[in-house]
Amino acid sequence: MTLLEVNNLKKVYTTRFGGNAVQALSNVTFSIEKGEFVAIMGESGSGKTTLLNIVASLDKPTSGEVLLNGKDIATIREKEISAFRRDNLGFVFQDFNLLDTFSIRDNIFLPLVLAGKSYNEMNERLKPIAKRLEIVNILEKYPYEVSGGQKQRTAVARALITKPQLILADEPTGALDSRASDGLLKLFSEINEDGQTILLVTHSIKAASHAKRVLFIKDGEVFHQLYKASMSNEEMYQKISDTLTMIATGGVRNE
Amino acid sequence: MNRFFYPRLAANNLKKNSKTYIPYILACIGTIMMFYNMSFLARAKDIGALSDHRTLRSILSLGSAVIAIFSVIFLFYTNSFLIKRRKKEFGLFNILGMEKKHIAKIMFFETLFVALISLVAGIFIGILLSKLMILLLFKIISFEVSFGFEIPVPSVLSTIVLFSGIFILNLIYNIFQVHLSKPIELLKGGNVGEKEPKTKWILTIVGAVCLGIGYYIALATESPLAALTIFFVAVVLVMIGTYCLFTAGSIALLKILRRNKKYYYKAKHFISVSGMIYRMKQNAVGLSNICILSTAVIIMISTTVSLYAGMEDVLRTRYPRNIIVSASDVSDEMAGKLDAVIAELTAKDNIDQGNVIRYRSMPLITIQNGTDFTVSQTVSYTSENIALIELIPVEYYNKMENKSVSLSGEEVLIYALRGGISGSTINFNGFELSIKESLDSFSLEGEMSAVLANSYYVVVDSVDTINRIYHSLNGNEADMEELSYYYGFDVEKGSDVQINLVRTLNNELSKLSVKGHAEGPEISRDDFLTLYGGLFFLGIFLGLLFIMATVLIIYYKQIAEGYDDRKRFEIMQKVGMSRAEIKKAIQSQVLTVFFLPLAAAVIHIAFAFKVITKLLSVFNLTNIPLFALSTALTILVFSVFYAAVYALTAKTYYKIVS
Repeated sequence: MTLLEVNNLKKVYTTRFGGNAVQALSNVTFSIEKGEFVAIMGESGSGKTTLLNIVASLDKPTSGEVLLNGKDIATIREKEISAFRRDNLGFVFQDFNLLDTFSIRDNIFLPLVLAGKSYNEMNERLKPIAKRLEIVNILEKYPYEVSGGQKQRTAVARALITKPQLILADEPTGALDSRASDGLLKLFSEINEDGQTILLVTHSIKAASHAKRVLFIKDGEVFHQLYKASMSNEEMYQKISDTLTMIATGGVRNE
Repeated sequence: MNRFFYPRLAANNLKKNSKTYIPYILACIGTIMMFYNMSFLARAKDIGALSDHRTLRSILSLGSAVIAIFSVIFLFYTNSFLIKRRKKEFGLFNILGMEKKHIAKIMFFETLFVALISLVAGIFIGILLSKLMILLLFKIISFEVSFGFEIPVPSVLSTIVLFSGIFILNLIYNIFQVHLSKPIELLKGGNVGEKEPKTKWILTIVGAVCLGIGYYIALATESPLAALTIFFVAVVLVMIGTYCLFTAGSIALLKILRRNKKYYYKAKHFISVSGMIYRMKQNAVGLSNICILSTAVIIMISTTVSLYAGMEDVLRTRYPRNIIVSASDVSDEMAGKLDAVIAELTAKDNIDQGNVIRYRSMPLITIQNGTDFTVSQTVSYTSENIALIELIPVEYYNKMENKSVSLSGEEVLIYALRGGISGSTINFNGFELSIKESLDSFSLEGEMSAVLANSYYVVVDSVDTINRIYHSLNGNEADMEELSYYYGFDVEKGSDVQINLVRTLNNELSKLSVKGHAEGPEISRDDFLTLYGGLFFLGIFLGLLFIMATVLIIYYKQIAEGYDDRKRFEIMQKVGMSRAEIKKAIQSQVLTVFFLPLAAAVIHIAFAFKVITKLLSVFNLTNIPLFALSTALTILVFSVFYAAVYALTAKTYYKIVS
């Protein structure tokens, strides 16, 4: 079953006075099945973040469509878009985006509070997630009191607690040391095993090697894709690395 | 490098930061203008033509001193706020290879530009407005204005010196700020991961206790004399209470709210409560400043307005009759002469004497202790049990009241103007008399109506009894003076006649070499106008200055918070908060921050109301409804101002956040 369909997506940024137009995405088409773990790779400026913002309904495409469960998210009215985002999407960002004014627990509760859920329900939902993510002991602490890895797991918990259709992760390991990165990626694999669909945007080969499928974006287009199938993480790493070299050197693969 | 590099960079910086610098420059211009005007008025030649120009000049000099002190604090505060905002900018300069001395150079030019613009504009506008100010002042004190324009050089100079001093002080502070910090700190500026504030229960309790005692004092004080001294104690306690409760009490309260899960985990409360906890940590002092400033503004304006508006009442309280002759140590023979003089003078001008009060009495200053009265040589004026007593022979009482009361040597009638005597006897240092009747009304209310201490009229049977009381109090060796004499009456004729009569009466009194004088409201009206009009003018003037300051502090606070909150609201939007919800959350937050100080100020005033009416009675103003009305009006006008600023600020804030 197809969860997300992105068809002929195009995004052109113009400066306010109509000066230089910059084409961030020229023609992107791909789809994600339910339960998939897809990584999108590309260099800085390749349009990864633009793509993610459009999928996240934080930005509007110039042309093309994004269908979530067959519904075009561009047609959702401004008033409902926040509720839509809250109910269907979970976010994990590079810089965590936790609020200093809230404890870890309250940060995780935030989307549910906004959705008007009762305290008991929130608490019930939090219990298994906190246990799973090993953050039970830090729930009462504040973001500035915990490590980067713990912060990111908090962000993951916040994304999971709404039971979203799709988790969007933008460079989630970008601000973490290698140990914390490994832990987080393992976690992503695990929650994916449980059936959670994940779309990961990164330029870290290691992060991408955990995904089941990797899409490569170059100059605003999907350039290539790799399936992991039965490969191990290490083999996948090698494969991604080769592909990137090929993209960077401009074509012929030298094996 | 171009010679104009630094000046140009400085000018550019000011332009870039116009959102914060324009209000600052406007505030500088405003304070400079006001200081110049006040100092101009204190020196203006026109005021020299007033009969009581000394009083007015000292009021105005006091005003300019207040403005000077206030300007220093206010501009320093605003500047420290500005520099905090700009640390990042200087950090960038520093990292890009500019040495700190270069940054100091830029700062110097910035300050120079701001100072030049503000001083030139401020003094120029001040000079333009000065004529208007003096017209306004003279209108208030009903005085004719002469033509001409005046620019007193000393005023201009003192303005320049004072404000240059303030600018230099600010510059030194700024340079220190930049010098003391490392570039990386400069870059990070204000947003270092701040810890959640702790609940300070002790401070909260101290605040609540101080506020409670302050309120209690304000409510419990009955005597105006005590009010004079104790009012400042109450003010200080309430100020301490305000600071403590705003800083610690607010956080304690918010944390209690947060503990209430049902209340806290609602979208609306969730964001505002958690935000406010941090907000209060940074802003509590600012908010309590605003609260105290607002209280001061409202009290100042409402009291000066009601004094000015209630001047007729004041005059009547101070001078119960149009013409009053009072003298001490007057023999019977001399009293007869005085009567003759008054009769002759009034007859000459065809003046009818209305509402005549005429009596002889012996005034005593005593210490009251229940029904016991004694005399002390070491009486201080503020002591609460001080009591004034007028001993009046019964014959005068009967004449005035058209009665025929007869008293024995051991009996008295008592009328308590202020204070009370409970019991059926009255004891003068061992000499006991029984109270035949406590009177409800007394038409002889003369001189003492303007006195603040406990005052009693004691009607006795004869001068002989007065003698016995006197000697009982002061010992047998003491020599009692002759009785005093009081003669007051109303006159139908106009002001000129009254003034003239008082003057001729005074001449006659000095001819007779009597220890006394004649007086009346008309001859004093100008002096009262000068005093109360001057205070009124000062009240309005300083009120405007304080309002300007309040407005600016609030504006800056909100802008600062806007920048801090931007990130928070960005995150919340990503997590799924709609624009409408964000707007609502912002509104409730800004609203609370805004109206908390005002609400606290109104509560302060409600509690202070009674003690202020007591204080106003020191100025002979006893018209409480008038004061209540002027307080209500002042609060209303102030709130309108406040609401306007709120609307403006909320808009700017929202623009920054979204």
